[in-house]
Amino acid sequence: MKKIIIALLCIFSGFNSMNAQDKFITKTGVINFEASVPSFEEVNAKNENVSAILKSTGEFASLALMKGFRFKVALMEEHFNENYAETSKFPKTTFRGNIEDFDLSQLGENEKTYTVKGVITMHGVDKSIEVPASIKMVEDTVYLSTTFVLKPGDFDIEIPSVVSSKIAEKINVSANFMLKSKS
Amino acid sequence: MKKQTKLLIALILLILAAYFTYNYMYQDHRDIKTEEAKITVSASELTAYFTDNKSEEILNNTVQVSGVITEIDSKSLTLDDSVLCSFDAEVQGVNLNDKITIKGRCIGYDDLFEIAKLDQSTIIK
Repeated sequence: MKKIIIALLCIFSGFNSMNAQDKFITKTGVINFEASVPSFEEVNAKNENVSAILKSTGEFASLALMKGFRFKVALMEEHFNENYAETSKFPKTTFRGNIEDFDLSQLGENEKTYTVKGVITMHGVDKSIEVPASIKMVEDTVYLSTTFVLKPGDFDIEIPSVVSSKIAEKINVSANFMLKSKS
Repeated sequence: MKKQTKLLIALILLILAAYFTYNYMYQDHRDIKTEEAKITVSASELTAYFTDNKSEEILNNTVQVSGVITEIDSKSLTLDDSVLCSFDAEVQGVNLNDKITIKGRCIGYDDLFEIAKLDQSTIIK
């Protein structure tokens, strides 16, 4: 009997914490990446349909559909999809992680810098990363933005030598999320 | 005279090569708006392509999707809670619960929210 009560208590307390756990979501976050080399054609792509979920515990997950990256030059987009990122074989890139020392009640209209730790999965390869992120909260919306550097080589993405002089080895990524409260 | 003709031919070839290279390098983007849809389905039928592992049939293809608007954002609409259609400009003149048909490019399936996503959408009716 005692065990049952304890079990029930556990279940209810579980429900309670789930109710209290606010979620902030977006389906239209923006990720930009830039791999330009000076004096060559600009290598720049943007995806405006990136999903992300932030839980009040600081847990953060994001998903970008690779076909959603759009380039200024159509041929570049084709090469990115077919030769480099192989987006038909690896249609999505995900991030799962935690924002360190995150406390929802501490968020305000002034931006604060946090550290986000987690794993990026791209092109079938998992890689741990640790990046700084600026976070602020205005009314019920959390704004999260971050910039960091990724190397194609870390994700087994090969850039053929013919074009490697025109694509930077270090790719600057910036992400902006406007996460709306959803309980 | 012969030398001049050769030079002229070489020059013409060079110009042609430059022309074709330029056209290849700076070819136009696809115009989803004028492309014919590969499939015409309801919103839930579209997500079924992904859950049934038939995604390669529609990924990166132009599709036409019908459903009821369940969410409106500034540059996107969600149909039947299962397909998010994003537009290049702000969407106007639509209301929640409207029945609508949209054409766009299918960019994939989002496991986080269990929705399919389209970009470069246009409203058909």
